[in-house]
Amino acid sequence: MEKHGDYLFKFALVRLRDSAMAEDMVQETFLAALKGGDKFAGRSAEKSWLVGILKHKILDHYRKASRETSFTDLEFYSDEESDRFTPDGLFKGGWIHDAGRELGPMEWSSDPGASLDSQAFWKAFHECSNKMPRNVATVFTMREVDGIESKDICRTLNITESNLWVMLHRARMALRRCLETSWFGKQV
Amino acid sequence: MRLLESLKLRSVIWVWNHTPNCAEMSRLTSLSFEQPPSLALRLKMRLHHFICVWCQRYERQLKFLHRASPHTHDHLDQLAVRGLSTEARQRLVQRLRDANH
Repeated sequence: MEKHGDYLFKFALVRLRDSAMAEDMVQETFLAALKGGDKFAGRSAEKSWLVGILKHKILDHYRKASRETSFTDLEFYSDEESDRFTPDGLFKGGWIHDAGRELGPMEWSSDPGASLDSQAFWKAFHECSNKMPRNVATVFTMREVDGIESKDICRTLNITESNLWVMLHRARMALRRCLETSWFGKQV
Repeated sequence: MRLLESLKLRSVIWVWNHTPNCAEMSRLTSLSFEQPPSLALRLKMRLHHFICVWCQRYERQLKFLHRASPHTHDHLDQLAVRGLSTEARQRLVQRLRDANH
């Protein structure tokens, strides 16, 4: 508890955005760990074992919540950056780039991978994720952070695959744009 | 020289007319993380990249986000997110003690 309590709480809080709920999840995790302590047997690091339990608890929570409320959010970023695409003419739907306006994705630094070691990068990443509505951030985290397959996400959250794809597309688009503005745009 | 420019423009327009536009490319690029595009679509997307540096960047940057995202776990300790408060910690310890007896 002393050793991993804070980490587990942050892990849950970032996902659930509700400190009371995050606290409950941490408590359930430790209770499950106490009951199943004999199953641990040092097979993996203690922290990973606890995180594994916590992940399952959070998924159970989502499963239950999906029976009462919808996880589908087709409002967020519904314009899909339409202000950045040419509205008509020969190159309709192309990124706008004319005199004085370069609205397509800019070149990020020559080695964006170097950002992964920067604390400030992760702060920007977290702030950008936080700007997404909770349900959109939930599907993004399940898919991109936890690497859960689309079909399993749909089953857990009770949403259709096509709605999931729309939400993921908009989440990636928004995160990319936000990081370009708040991080990569300032690195050049 | 003018002939060369004209040929270049014509080929760009031909490719543009035969491949998805950039708005559609951004959607398809995201979708390709969920299900691999058909060979025909993959070729069209590749062809589009020949004439569009922005869509090339878009794809490269989504791939970067895809690679980076799983590492958010490793940096939770550094985030300015508060950990358990003293009261919450005491509450949890008490509940665990109760449950253990």
